[in-house]
Amino acid sequence: MAHLVMFYGRECPHCKKMLPLIDTLEKETPVRFERLEVWHDEKNADLMRSYREAIAPKCGHQLRVPTFLNADTRDAMCGEVEFDKLKDWALQQG
Amino acid sequence: MKKRYWRCFVCNDVHYGIAPPELCPTCKVLHAYVEITAEEARKILGGGPETTMATEDFRASIERFTVGNEFQVNPAADKVSLLLTGIFENEKNHGFKFCPCRLRTKDWEEDLKLICPCNFPIHETYKGVKDGECWCGLFVRRK
Ligand code: SF4
Repeated sequence: MAHLVMFYGRECPHCKKMLPLIDTLEKETPVRFERLEVWHDEKNADLMRSYREAIAPKCGHQLRVPTFLNADTRDAMCGEVEFDKLKDWALQQG
Repeated sequence: MKKRYWRCFVCNDVHYGIAPPELCPTCKVLHAYVEITAEEARKILGGGPETTMATEDFRASIERFTVGNEFQVNPAADKVSLLLTGIFENEKNHGFKFCPCRLRTKDWEEDLKLICPCNFPIHETYKGVKDGECWCGLFVRRK
């Protein structure tokens, strides 16, 4: 199973929308996400920054949250997306 | 081009930019700016009156900022209030009113672009988008 990460901010409205979708996805499928908050945890923030080259080109050349990352392949997707798009992305990661 | 510091020789307004303003916005004198050091600029600004801004003051300030612009503060009050909490948490923990929906890179110039309000009209979530929003949704295009 791929190591999937969701980087999120505690006060980010898009993240607030996406977190329950991740919960639902985990109930429906074997997919699992590690949820890492980045504005109140510097260790998580540093980890996200370490993936800058993989994340930025897909996220308006910035480090934006929410970001969904496959830590193994470094594939990334970011922003508030429909449940089906999230599901497709996560299932594609293998 | 690098930004530098300038001081109005009449009223001591301080300007940070690549060139001095032609007209001083405060005293309206022409060609009044002389270059100064960062240290002098800090001393002048630091000696001014202490000002504080509570969340409600900031909210009022961004409301005033949108007047005359093609965007407005998002009418969705719960979204705005979550964002304002984040913006103030970030100021307390990281020194500036950083955007709650992006992360600092720790590069000074890059991170200045994350101070709220940021230059969101150039972002793909706003530019040319009918119901455009800033990345976080704090500002939305006026209907
Ligand atoms: S994206 Fe919106 S909330 Fe974030 S800094 Fe820019 S204006 Fe502020």
